[in-house]
Formats: sequence, structure tokens, C-alpha cells
Amino acid sequence: MLKENFKDFFETLKKLGEVHAPVRRGRLFSFTKVDSPGEVALNYNRTMLPPKKYFVKPFEEVLKIKVGKGYELIVEEPKSLVLLGLHACDINALRVLDSVYLDEPQDDYYQVRRAAAIVIGVSCEPDEYCFCKSMGTDYAWTGFDLFLHELGTSYLVRVGSSRGESIIESMSNIIGEPTKEDFIKLRDLELKRSRMFKKILNTSLLPDIVDSLHESEVWVVFSDKCVSCGSCNLVCPTCRCYDVTEKVELNLQEGVRVRRWDSCFIRSHALVAGGLNFRPTRLDRFRHRYNCKSSIDPRTNLPFCVGCGRCSAFCPAGIDHVNVLNAIWGLA
Amino acid sequence: MTGNKIKVGFYSLTGCAGDFLNILNMEDKLLEVFKLLDVVEFALASSKVVHEKVDVAFIEGSVTTQKDLEVLKKIRENCNVLVALGNCAVWGGVQAELTGLDAKDLMKSVYNTTENYYSFLGEHKAVSEVVKVDYELPGCPIEVEEFLELLIDVIRGVIPEFKDYPVCVECKIREIPCLIVERGEACLGPITVGGCKARCPYYNAPCIGCRGPVKEEANVAGELSMLLEKGWKKQEVINRLRLFAARYKDIAKLLER
Amino acid sequence: MSSAYLPKLAKIVEVTEMTAIEKLFKLQFVNEEDAKSFTFKPGQFVEVNVPGVGESPISICKSPTRPGPLELLIRRIGRVTNAIHKLKPGDVVGIRGPFGNGFPMEKMKGYDVLLIAGGLGIAPLMSVLQYVIDRREDYGEVTLLYGVRSYQEALFRDMAIDLIKHPEKACLRTFLSYERDDPVFVSLMRDHPENVRKGVVTVLFECADPYIKPDKVCAVVCGPPIMYRFVLKELAKRNIPPNNIYITLERRMKCGIGKCGHCIVGGATAIRYICKDGPVFTYSDVLSVRGLV
Repeated sequence: MLKENFKDFFETLKKLGEVHAPVRRGRLFSFTKVDSPGEVALNYNRTMLPPKKYFVKPFEEVLKIKVGKGYELIVEEPKSLVLLGLHACDINALRVLDSVYLDEPQDDYYQVRRAAAIVIGVSCEPDEYCFCKSMGTDYAWTGFDLFLHELGTSYLVRVGSSRGESIIESMSNIIGEPTKEDFIKLRDLELKRSRMFKKILNTSLLPDIVDSLHESEVWVVFSDKCVSCGSCNLVCPTCRCYDVTEKVELNLQEGVRVRRWDSCFIRSHALVAGGLNFRPTRLDRFRHRYNCKSSIDPRTNLPFCVGCGRCSAFCPAGIDHVNVLNAIWGLA
Repeated sequence: MTGNKIKVGFYSLTGCAGDFLNILNMEDKLLEVFKLLDVVEFALASSKVVHEKVDVAFIEGSVTTQKDLEVLKKIRENCNVLVALGNCAVWGGVQAELTGLDAKDLMKSVYNTTENYYSFLGEHKAVSEVVKVDYELPGCPIEVEEFLELLIDVIRGVIPEFKDYPVCVECKIREIPCLIVERGEACLGPITVGGCKARCPYYNAPCIGCRGPVKEEANVAGELSMLLEKGWKKQEVINRLRLFAARYKDIAKLLER
Repeated sequence: MSSAYLPKLAKIVEVTEMTAIEKLFKLQFVNEEDAKSFTFKPGQFVEVNVPGVGESPISICKSPTRPGPLELLIRRIGRVTNAIHKLKPGDVVGIRGPFGNGFPMEKMKGYDVLLIAGGLGIAPLMSVLQYVIDRREDYGEVTLLYGVRSYQEALFRDMAIDLIKHPEKACLRTFLSYERDDPVFVSLMRDHPENVRKGVVTVLFECADPYIKPDKVCAVVCGPPIMYRFVLKELAKRNIPPNNIYITLERRMKCGIGKCGHCIVGGATAIRYICKDGPVFTYSDVLSVRGLV
């Protein structure tokens, strides 16, 4: 597809649902609703919040309460959504979230939104924080409908689902057959991209290394720097912990149950009634996060960390995920 | 309790009464609120002073004078549940910034006298330093939304829940660019307890910590070294930290010379 | 629309005060369909909802072999459980679940069963205890080691005393340990010195040892976190295979279905959800999953 056809491509997508794409906001990018192709910043490095915000909302009412009487589900009409411009890491992260939230019994709120979302990926170049190549998540082979590979003046459109297939079938006027030259360009660009990664993490045996070096001094050094702000969790595309509270109106009759993104750096995360805390110190929580992120999802065989670099890029204390793990490897 | 209403008192110690002002300012909710309460005393709304037993006492202001001390002890005796509202009652307020300085010097510099005019105790204490406090709602001033949640729980006899996450969580949820990461600002968001929906960062102003530190958790040393790395001077950071939380243990330690 | 997140309404039919801080609640589902579809295994738990307050994970204190209402033993300790304690017969709560894996009662068939409970840990073990009593022929010898702090704090104290005095009734051996003296337990110890000891639950191993046949027994343990370390050590010392030692664990839980993430434990090589992969684990799991106990 020639780049000059992107406009028409975009207009067709709009007919399929509300289009959300990375948009520049100051120095940052954010997945936002877009109305015109000019707003879309396909050349972005990363958004602060990952696409998970569309499926598990940062803050949402899940049940209506009749005090002392019972509960009612808050059912949302599924709304067609086109998520345009996801990087391979974020697509793989959605697969990890799917494996958790769609595992039986599934999370209905998530399921409804996920099923109504069309995912269109876009190729990218790594910056100083990206380490998806180390995690093996720099390539999305499933979990999307279409994937746009930028080849200079055109996009090579890769199809990832039957839904994606039918979308491009309807666009035969703007998406032509790729040529042999296109494929060679794709190969060369992919090789170039592959050589661009500066952040390297040794991932073979990583779970075992992280687990077995539990007593390493490295955890102490970095957890002393950590200010427990929870940013790394909130910006992480696979962090999915949520907390639940109930609020009651002044009439004392009605209320809502609310769920909100949580962070394992917060004191109450592993606290049980009566005051026992299963992760009482910052060190415990710091190690917990790194263990959780270094493990492998048994259902997808994907790592729980997809190397998007957000936790490093948005950590106020400047703690870099790869630097911490490299220190564990003894490479600091 | 009389009928369905609970008996409450709103008591002021040393402070600007801003917390109570915020309560009185929620005009659209007041009628509904007072339907649930039998208010025996409300310092900012009425000059009536009674020493009646109440179910719940709401206190704002720091314990600064001998009178504060005596009144507070009486309130504690007269109530079942005692709630400290606002930064003054929870942490001693901005006035507690002077913790560690000599009271006589202060009196001299402000009033040009060595006499103790108003039986100043020499420091500005949090309510919990003097009597047992059941619940603390931070903020300068308090957020009325949080006050209502607390009130509704207290009325129903339900143990209230309090936030224990920092302002950063609310910044991220609202996708506000981090003022520390993007601009190297001396933002206290990481160690300050959330609940304000990151109001200041939303308006591009760094958090000054008015809600006080995340209790028992705030990594003050980490915040300090983080800001030193961003190029701030130690004294600048300490001045920020002490403004609303001079009596938090780790900040008090920094103030000892 | 049904959902794993939507609590089903149940009416409180009976409340029994067990101690100063614990009550036993009997619950009946309001909707007949819900009552019919609710089946559970010993060791599973439910989320109990007080509409307008919140929910709390509570283990089922009853065996599925017994008909009648759902039974939950609840300690008044936090926001939700305090609210539950204020409820009376006729009041309505919400129930989600049952959740968790439960004890492998089928796998334990043919084995002796050694139950070790500390304090409130008796609540989930009650489901196993009743189960093996009701299916007595399926299991070998049954032994209960029960540690309590004091007579006043002891749950099911009458049952425990009765089992010590009349072991023939339920065909099981019962041993009781207590930490603080009081006339009832002191005289019980005098009359049954071989069954009652002063101290923490591990002092009972000495009494029970003659009846523990390591290759023939499954141990089922529940108690406060600190208890596991000591009890597991005793069991390991007796060469009971790690796969035949079962424990059940508590964590913060907000969903019960492996989503909310609060109950995640383990190191990077083995991440487990207590709510979904547990709450019942074997001692083998304890050896391979970091931080389980």
C-alpha cells in the first residue's frame, strides 16, 4: 500500500469502528481517539500507557449495589474499536493479557471489549530503552488483524487473521499485490532493525537466575533507590493487578463496586485482614516484580515481560529494568 | 445515636479551618449530609460550644497551645470515634515545619517578645501524638469526596478504607507526563499519598506533598537521592519535604542537625 | 447475564457464636437454581459479599457429603468480616464461588489421614474431617492433631472434647494441645494424658507418633503461617512423602479466579496463584515454589 493511500485506508478503518492510535502530546505519545489520518503518529517510540487501558480500564465501575440487598452487573454495549499502530511488543503483551483474562472463568468485561477490537500493528525501530529482541517479542506472528511494515514510500501489509483478510479484500483499490522488491526491502529493513538494538538482556535461563539469586545484594541496592511509586506497574503492558472497592451514596441505599489498576509496590497489595503482610518490605516487593516479569506465561510460552522499555523510560528514580537484571547477571 | 442520625462534633484546634470550609462548601450535598447527622458543635458554622458526648468527633488543626491540648483530651473522652481531618491534624500542618527551632526565638522574631503569649507548647503536634486517633484523612485541605466516603462508612459503622498509594498512581492513570522524568522537577508525588487525582501535576505543577507522606512506606532517602541526581541541592529538597511533613519520622531525621 | 464476578444471593439462616471473635454462619441460596448448581469440594473457598461493604475470601467449613446450608466460620478481623458479624438470620449476603482446587479426596483414598489444625485452621479442615467420617470406609486410620490457644479461644471445643472422650463415636483419634491453662482443659489432660498436652500443636507429634505410618498416611495441615514451618519440618522428619503432605494457604484475594494478581506467589521459575492453583498445595510445591510458606 502506497503511503499516499494511507488516508483512504484510515477512512475505511473509521467505518469499522472508533479508531484509536498513537497521538503526540507534548513530548509523549498516547493512544487516543483520532478522527483524521494527520493526527496519527505512526513513527512513535512508545506511549506512556499501553493498549491494556482499553480492555482493563484504569478505573471502572463493575457492579451496581443495592445496600443490604444485592448486586447487579454493569453491562456495557460492545463498541467496535480499531486499535491502529501497535508495536509488536504491545501485540505480544495483549496475548499475555488474553491468556490471563480469557482463561476460564473469563473476565466478561475484558472479553467483550477484546472481541470488539481490531488490532493493526505497525513496524518500529528500537530506541535506547527497547529490548523486545532479547525477550523474543520483537516479532508479532499472531494476535493482530493487520500489520503495516513501513518500506520507505509504502507499507507492506501483513495479514494476521481472517478478519484482517476480509478487511484488505475490501480495500483492493488501495492495497495492491506486493512485489519481489518489496519483500527484499522488508528483509533488508528487518535486518537493519535487528542490528539497531542497544539494550541487550541475556534471557536464556533468566527465570532460574532471577529465582536462584534471590539473596543477591543487587536487589537491595536497587530497591533502596526505588521510591515505590508504582509507575512501572501502571505503564507495563502485562501488569494486570487490580484492586476492588465499594462506594455507597449518601442515600445509603445505592452504591457501586469499582476496580482500579493496582501496583505490587503498594503496601496493601499482599496485606491480609488482621495485618499480616506477605510482602512487608520494599525489597520483597521489588524482587516480586522482577520475578513476576522474568517468568514465562505457561499458556502462551511468552515471557511476562515483552521488553517495551516503558518501566525504564518512565521510572522517576531512573531504574532501568535491563540494568537491574544485567547486574543480577553480574554484568554491571 | 438519635434515631437514624449519628451525633457528631466538628472541632477546631490550631489551623486555618480550611478543611471545615471545604465541607461547608459542598453546598449541593449539605442538606443530604445533615439529614444523616445530629451536629452538636461545628466550630466554623456556629459559635455554639458544648461539651456533649458524641458518636464521632471530627478534628482539624494541630495541637499547638495548652488550650488545644486540654480541649482535645476532653473531646477524646467525649467521643466514641475520633477522626483527624487534614494535614494539620494528621501531620501538624505547615506550622510544624518549624519543628526543631527554638520557641523563644520564634516568639521573639514574630512578636518581639520573650513572653509566651498564647501558651504555645513549643511545637505543633499531630493529633495522634497526643490522643488515640481512630481514623486519619489527609489533605490540605481534605478532598470532600474522600470525606463523604469516610462519613458514609462511619455512619454505617463500617471500618473505612484509606488510600495507601502515592500520587504517581493517579498521574499515570490520567496519563499526565511525569514532571520528574520529563522535566527534572522536584515533585513529591512518589512519596505523597494519593487521593487528589494528581491535581497539581495535571496543571503542570509539581506535587508539594500537601497530603503528607505514604505512611510507613514513603522512601524519603530514595526521593532525596533521586532529586539530588536531577541536580537539586540537598537543602532545596529538604525545604520541600519539611513543608507538610516535618514530623514524618524519616523527614524529621533529615531536619536534625 | 451470569458472570464469575456477580455474587449470588444467600440468606443467613443461622448464626452461632463460637468464640468472642468467631461466628459460624449457615447460609441458604435465595435462588433455587443457585442452590442446585452450587457444588464444592473440601478445601474450597467462597467470596462472601456484604453489599455496600465489600467481599472477603472464606473457606467452606463443611463437607459436601452433608446436606443442608452452606457453613462458613468467620473471624471478625477486617472491614468486611466486621460487617458480616453484624448480620442476623434473615439478612442477605452475596456468594461467589466456590473457588480453588480443594483437597484431593479421591487421591487420598486408602490412606490414613492425619489432620493437623492450628486455631482458625480447623475451619477448612472441618470439611475434610466430616468428609472422611462420612466416607469412613474409603480411608484408613484418621488422626486429628488440634492446637488451640485457650479454652475460650478454641473453636468447636465441645466437639474436640467429645472426640477425645469418645473416640469410638467417629472412629478417629484426637489429640489436643493448648497454651493457656484453664480448668476444663487441665482436667481433660488429667483424664486423657495420652491425648492432651500443653504447648503448641507440634508437641502432639510425640503422642501421635505410634499411629503415624509414613508410607501409608496423607497429612492435611492448616493453621497460621508460622505454624507451617514447624509442622512441615516435623512431617518431613518422619519421612512422609512430600506429595502426601497437603497444606492450605491464605492470601489477599480480590477475584478468586486468577485475575487480580494479589495472591501471586513464587519465584520466576514457578509463579502460582493461591486462589486458582491452590489454596491447597503439597509439600513438594512448597519445596519448588518460592515463598509459599
